[in-house]
Amino acid sequence: MSYNTSRNYFWKMNGQKLHLYQLRKNALLSPDVNGRIESDDTELVYPDEDINNGLRVEYNAFVKPFVTADPNSLATDSNETTWSNPSLTEASSPEETSHVNLNRMLSLACVCFVQAQNAAKEGNIQLKEYYMREFYKKLADNESNKKKITIAFPSPVSSVR
Amino acid sequence: MTVLEIMERAGIRDTNLAISWIKDAIHYIESTQEENLKVKKSGIIKGQRDYDLPADLISINSISVLDTEDDNKYKRIRRLTGPIEISEDLNP
Repeated sequence: MSYNTSRNYFWKMNGQKLHLYQLRKNALLSPDVNGRIESDDTELVYPDEDINNGLRVEYNAFVKPFVTADPNSLATDSNETTWSNPSLTEASSPEETSHVNLNRMLSLACVCFVQAQNAAKEGNIQLKEYYMREFYKKLADNESNKKKITIAFPSPVSSVR
Repeated sequence: MTVLEIMERAGIRDTNLAISWIKDAIHYIESTQEENLKVKKSGIIKGQRDYDLPADLISINSISVLDTEDDNKYKRIRRLTGPIEISEDLNP
């Protein structure tokens, strides 16, 4: 029976493998078989029990990179409460009519990336760097679009009201 | 946005090359942003340290372990930094 797993388990990447360790707490002042007493009462060990489906990995991956329908338009949009997203079918062999499964801002970022690669192909590194900066700017814009931050500035006493 | 529209905006004529670059762009995006998250689960085996990661992984968002004594909740675990004293335990 696993308990308090957020404190007792640790992970580490080693190449393409995930290493999983468990924290074992020993009683202080309990001597080992040789009569030695350790000052540190914790040690990392391999997991000491079987847990069915115990390891959960959440990760970024390619999920339908190209689809057959436009992912940025609603399938039904009757009113505020009646709407649905389009059901997206992956285009396994993408072609010119396939849609990129990204929102509008990230699609524009893709345009900049393609322009950058094309500039690099033509040997124009300065232009490539320019488009890559535009690419990262659009990624940043996309992230900031998800957040709404309000900043309030106090007006000085002497300011004209 | 369709592949054709991206090609027209970027002034590219080669479709296969454009699709390859778009795939690279998506890879960059997935490396830095949380756009498409996937979840995979596998069993923890007593005495086993090494576990396979999904082959389609681009970047890790979180690793969790099932807490069976707390109503079967998956709880995020922390990443170890720095080297581990024991490189291999032959008798775990």
